[in-house]
Amino acid sequence: MADAGRLNGVLFLPLAGIAAIVALPPRRDDLVRGLSLAVMLLQFALTAWLYARFDASVDGLQFETRLPWIAAWGVYYQIGLDGYNVLLVLLTAFLGPLVVAGAFTAIQKDVKLFYAMVFALQFAMLGTFLAQDLFVFYLFWETMLIPLFLIIGIWGGERRIYATLKFVLYTAFGSIVMLAAVIYLVYSLNATTGVTSFAFADLYKAELPLPVQTTLLAAFALSFAIKVPIVPLHTWLPDAHVEAPTAGSVILAGVLLKMGTYGFMKLAFPLFPDATRMLAPVFGTLAVVSILYGACLALVQTDIKKIIAYSSISHLGYVMLGLVSLDLLGIQGAVMQMVSHGVVAGGLFLMVGMIYERCHTRELAAYGGLAKILPVYSVFLAILTLAAIGLPTTSGFTGEFLVLLGAFKAAWPQYVLGSAYPLVLSTSAVAGVVLGALYMLWFAQRFLFGATKAPHLPLVDLNLREKAILASIVVAVFALGLFPDEPMKKTELAARQYQQLVAGNRTGTRVAAEPVLRDAPSPAAQASEGTR
Amino acid sequence: MSWEVVLTAMLPEHLLLAGIIVLLALELGPRKPRGLLVVALVAVAAATTAALWLAFIGYAAAPFPGQYSVAPVASLGKAIVLALAVLVLLIARDESGQRAFPILLISSLYGVCLLLSSDSFLTLFLGLELMSLPVYALVLLAFRRPESAEAALKYLVLGGTATATLLMGVSLLYGGSGSLALSTFASALGSTDIMAKVAVVLVLVAFFLKAAIVPFHAWAPDAYEGAAVPVTAYMATIIKAGVLLAAVRLFGTVPVTRPMADLLAILPLVSIVWGNLAAMRQQSFRRMIAYSSIAHAGYLFYALLGEGPGRFQAVAFYVLAYGLMNVLAFASLPPNENDAARDRLDNLRGLFRREPFAALMIGIAMLSLAGIPPFPGFVAKFLIFKNVIAAGFTLYAVLGLVGSYLGIYFYLRVIQYLFMSTEETAATRGTPGRLALGASFICLLVVILLSVFPGWVIDRL
Repeated sequence: MADAGRLNGVLFLPLAGIAAIVALPPRRDDLVRGLSLAVMLLQFALTAWLYARFDASVDGLQFETRLPWIAAWGVYYQIGLDGYNVLLVLLTAFLGPLVVAGAFTAIQKDVKLFYAMVFALQFAMLGTFLAQDLFVFYLFWETMLIPLFLIIGIWGGERRIYATLKFVLYTAFGSIVMLAAVIYLVYSLNATTGVTSFAFADLYKAELPLPVQTTLLAAFALSFAIKVPIVPLHTWLPDAHVEAPTAGSVILAGVLLKMGTYGFMKLAFPLFPDATRMLAPVFGTLAVVSILYGACLALVQTDIKKIIAYSSISHLGYVMLGLVSLDLLGIQGAVMQMVSHGVVAGGLFLMVGMIYERCHTRELAAYGGLAKILPVYSVFLAILTLAAIGLPTTSGFTGEFLVLLGAFKAAWPQYVLGSAYPLVLSTSAVAGVVLGALYMLWFAQRFLFGATKAPHLPLVDLNLREKAILASIVVAVFALGLFPDEPMKKTELAARQYQQLVAGNRTGTRVAAEPVLRDAPSPAAQASEGTR
Repeated sequence: MSWEVVLTAMLPEHLLLAGIIVLLALELGPRKPRGLLVVALVAVAAATTAALWLAFIGYAAAPFPGQYSVAPVASLGKAIVLALAVLVLLIARDESGQRAFPILLISSLYGVCLLLSSDSFLTLFLGLELMSLPVYALVLLAFRRPESAEAALKYLVLGGTATATLLMGVSLLYGGSGSLALSTFASALGSTDIMAKVAVVLVLVAFFLKAAIVPFHAWAPDAYEGAAVPVTAYMATIIKAGVLLAAVRLFGTVPVTRPMADLLAILPLVSIVWGNLAAMRQQSFRRMIAYSSIAHAGYLFYALLGEGPGRFQAVAFYVLAYGLMNVLAFASLPPNENDAARDRLDNLRGLFRREPFAALMIGIAMLSLAGIPPFPGFVAKFLIFKNVIAAGFTLYAVLGLVGSYLGIYFYLRVIQYLFMSTEETAATRGTPGRLALGASFICLLVVILLSVFPGWVIDRL
């Protein structure tokens, strides 16, 4: 199938990019940059084409490729697009060219290696999202570590070695525990059903006793929670963000953190539904703690990058809350929030990078009144700030709103504090929204307004390249905010499937139940009503 | 016993023997011999081809029934070991002045081949000794530093201890069963007889000593550091592969049960943890590799916890991947004024800016040794732990995996030195030889093959 070929093309294009830039003659950094951008743009174009062709009414995989890879273990190279990953793949491909273009002037050392590593990371991230086989998923998941380890470690700030080792050692610990769980899960599937397979679809059918489910869920959750990150496993994130070069921060915030929530949604929760239902209040509590704790810490930071890093922890808390609410609106909100956060946080980190290139400091106290001297920059920053707060018409609103709606209606079978517990949690999450507005607006006020202050004067406003980068981000922010219907339709079936896998009964009637559910008013339509 | 069978079945051994004879003849000649290394290369390469061919046509025969037999599995093991030896010879340019080096190396290889075909403890013992004795000399031979004498002595004494322990165990097995066949070991594994148990423990300890499992590992760091780089590579890859493949032959396909399984799991587990921890604070590349090899010996013995033919598959894939990584790392180690300078981790700082290719190769080797995908070290480790979990030893598998996590730090530290250092402390002298570069390329190609098509390779093991 031609489209399956295109999907493989999207996945392997970064490798072709690596080969191409390695083949370029030495000391032609401008050529390397141009070629990298061209490859990334081509990849985005291909992905956008596939996104447009993605049929929202089809349940299951589209553009699928399935080839035997390690036949003896039942491992297949299986990739495909479905409602779970389609938006995240698009997000990854969308951020690719922006990351490359954003690093044009910032990276002057080992340019070839840098772009090769960005491509390697892009390859691993897309592979993680596209993989439909647990072994392949794990392979890509772990592969991601190496390029990011080098990106932070080579082009990072002063404490880069510490930050990058901390990042890798944290993530690798989660991964190794998950690896044991993966092997055990596949072995149990084999022992109970006689099927040796790593395919997600087969693993969903494994019926495990509750204690085993709980243990395996804990192992998977550890790995994913470190990546998200959920408080108290978050301490690597501020260090990694602060020390990483802009490109690293953008990829980290834009895509990598979503790996964790995607992992929960695609693997950890649906694989172990009984344990998930039992532990949903615990995960919900941790999510709300992340929301509030991240917001409180963002409030008191003096480093601009740290403010955005902690705000990421807070924003991903909403995603987790939406996922464990097991309410259709909440789940769809979580997906929207993932994409929105990727765009907005990516944009904010790019903007921090731009001001850092000009002034070489990220201390908030060193700046003030930038609205007067950098008007264009300030307009973009104001828009992204409002999107981060979740103002209606921006992308942030839909996700947060739906998550909170879902959390109110959370259908948990057992309550920690009686039936009022979801109410307590969602009320606290609403407090998080207020805190979010507080720290972002306070940051914008100190940064953009007040007495004019900057480490160097005069400052040059954004050039054309930077304007183009930020304009594409702003377009994405408003597109997601004004027309949430379109992406939500594409993810709706996946959200339903997820809900049914986790909350529904185990004996998988999800396909049969679909037509009945389709008659209900689309939550996407309800959401856009809310937007208006 | 027909001569035809003896000739065909032992073809790899015969080719090695022919190589030794030619080398000795050249040695006797009036002029200073040249091209010794080439002769050795040709002999080992021919033996590799022969072993591969025997494995490919599925040749199985017993030229000396009850003592020596050939089956495709044995031939495949030999082919892996011999192929790794070709690569080790390629990086031995500096040793070409040492006349005894190729002869000793091939003699040791002959021992490995014998070991992998042994059916009785007599042949096993012969093979094990023939494999080890030349290496004691090799370690000593390459000496350019006085402290190396201590290392060689340690190696010799502990190697002798292993021999004595093995003989003690074998005599107890013989006392119990009246037979010297290897299968007596497998049947003693499940036995409740105290003498059989002691015999199994003694034989196992001998293998632990040879493979450097904690607490029998003390010789390894000194010997690895004391020897010349190719000899270190030889010890780290071929000796380890030979010992472990022999252990697989010894265990057969019999499942290991408790309490013997606990012995077989706990010491390797301690090795994994201790090897990885001790490697963290090494300043010498070879000492670090020595501790890393102690940890890897732990994973390899874990493979014996698994059952059936999966054991050979896991060990064979692992020694192949692991051996390639070691050779790749040693082949890419940039030359320096002397061995000690070449060996210092500090001298690797900023290598990427001077020798990008060498730095990338060492980096790949380190990541693969750490078991980080997409490199073959990951699939190798996965294969072992999959078998261990399938055999029901989940706890040991989890502990082993967590132990392997400890290793990630020091492998990454090397990468940090290679890529992230801004200072360049010591310049390298000269560039790697063409042969070493060739060895790197071959390793790289096989690594890519193992990374992209692991299934294809596993199916053939």
